[in-house]
Amino acid sequence: MIAREPAELRAALAATIVGQEGVLDALLLALLCNGHVLLEGPPGLAKTLACRALAAALEGEFKRIQFTPDLLPSDIVGTRIFDQRESAFATVLGPIFANVVLADEINRAPAKVQSALLEAMQERQVTIGPQSHELPDPFVVMATMNPLDSEGTYALPVAQMDRFLMKVNVGYPTREQELRILDRFAVADTQPLRAVATLDDVRRWRAQAHAVHLDEKLKRYVVELVASTREPNEFIDYGASPRATLALAFLARGRAMLDGRDFALPDDVRAIAPQALRHRIGFNYRLAAERMDADRVIDSLISAVPAP
Amino acid sequence: MLAAALGGNAGGAQAQSLQRVTVNGFTLTSSAASPHVDVPFTLVVTLRVRERIAEVQNIDLPILAQLELLGDERETTSGRGGTQYRETISVVAHDAGPMTIAPATLEAIDARDGKPKEWYTNGLSLRVVGSGSAALRAGSHALFDALRATLWFLLWILIWLVGIAAIVLIVFVLARRRPRVPAPVPVPTEPPPRVVTPAQRVADALAVLRAERTRAAAVTVRNAIWQMIGASDGETLGDVLARPAAREPAMRALLIALERSAFTYDADLAAAIDDACAALGRYLDSTV
Repeated sequence: MIAREPAELRAALAATIVGQEGVLDALLLALLCNGHVLLEGPPGLAKTLACRALAAALEGEFKRIQFTPDLLPSDIVGTRIFDQRESAFATVLGPIFANVVLADEINRAPAKVQSALLEAMQERQVTIGPQSHELPDPFVVMATMNPLDSEGTYALPVAQMDRFLMKVNVGYPTREQELRILDRFAVADTQPLRAVATLDDVRRWRAQAHAVHLDEKLKRYVVELVASTREPNEFIDYGASPRATLALAFLARGRAMLDGRDFALPDDVRAIAPQALRHRIGFNYRLAAERMDADRVIDSLISAVPAP
Repeated sequence: MLAAALGGNAGGAQAQSLQRVTVNGFTLTSSAASPHVDVPFTLVVTLRVRERIAEVQNIDLPILAQLELLGDERETTSGRGGTQYRETISVVAHDAGPMTIAPATLEAIDARDGKPKEWYTNGLSLRVVGSGSAALRAGSHALFDALRATLWFLLWILIWLVGIAAIVLIVFVLARRRPRVPAPVPVPTEPPPRVVTPAQRVADALAVLRAERTRAAAVTVRNAIWQMIGASDGETLGDVLARPAAREPAMRALLIALERSAFTYDADLAAAIDDACAALGRYLDSTV
């Protein structure tokens, strides 16, 4: 059995963030699976705090980029400026050069800015002028979208949504959790989160997560689940891509590792499937017309595929 | 239904312990082609061999994962024409829909050529009919069936009345001609079918897993235990652990151990099977 170190990191984050277990798990899974997370939820649900806490717990660097309609690609990746003393151009790296990057309200910026970020997410490097620059490792982007206020936003194209390993719907805390939030933040100076792991630890965990065993029966289950999204369905125009199949397998391995196992189970696949699939399926107008919930459609697809 | 008496060679190592028979028929039948949800029905495995033998060995029944096993009754009859073995399995389905039952298998030495072989029965394709809503949907059919059944019932009563009247008449005539015959000996009632208890099933599973330490055996035992506590195909361990039958700590530990043996990597399989055997043993101890 593997060491429970990722679980220690999770416990440290949970000591800072009340509730939002889904967000914390998503952050850890993104770390273990070398992916990025899209968070959708109203403001004020500790998304930024979770992101900052993760960076602090890892001794990593955290940057936040507030996406606005007038943002330029160079505001994210960096630019070249002319140094008059040296009579030469110097490169100034943008805020994307950090271990944990929060892209706040990603859908408020136009497509070319979104593309600049998403290209960096995919290639893990950016090109400024003639020179390419490697992004730090680990590199996790947490992008947020606000579902309530859609005026003046630019919807993310499907191909770009597909680049996110998972999409998490962030909900409001329960009453008990909100009471605990009140108690925890009542004191003026809260204790800063101490580092419980290093970036080297994360790289080691990633290798261990990659080695988690996925049985042939589970591989077939993953393929069947993704294929079920491509079957004719009154609410779906197009199903998930093979990238979803890869993501689901990665995430199942990551979830098994978080649970202290070195082999994945059908429960791992089924639990993580909604987060891996919901942003990769194209729902049609009937979903809104019949006031159906996308997650309910996904749940029905998942429950229709028998687990091994 | 005809027997499908063709098979490949059985394992050479087992050949020493196999029975030597001439198989004349080997069939699997169901008492209902369209059984109803929660209504018991029977599956019958029938084997006819030319030889007169006391018992039949090495018959493997199909895994009835979609059915709940209620009882199992075996009967072996020998006579001038050979031996007939008949196993009647009482089952009940809890879910509507199509269902396929795999063939039963027999391993024996073919007396015709002296070679070890496997025989298979036919498989069965059943359609389990739902109870409440399905009956409503098929309202007209049900009405027609009820009417037809009533007419048949009345016709049968009429036939019986005529028959009884004829018998009474014959007996009356014979009684006047012959002395009174002794009363017939009552037919002894059959013993109730043997019901396999959960502890017996777990003991069987433990024996299987100890004898065959493979992934396939582990998966079979896992499915059998899941079936025993009422889980259906397609559920995950999380679903099964949420069932009331899985609240007992020994059963929870057993389910988790079996899941590990079904999905762990090859290098860990032996340890996982050891763990599963130990969990099966602990569960048996807890039921005593």
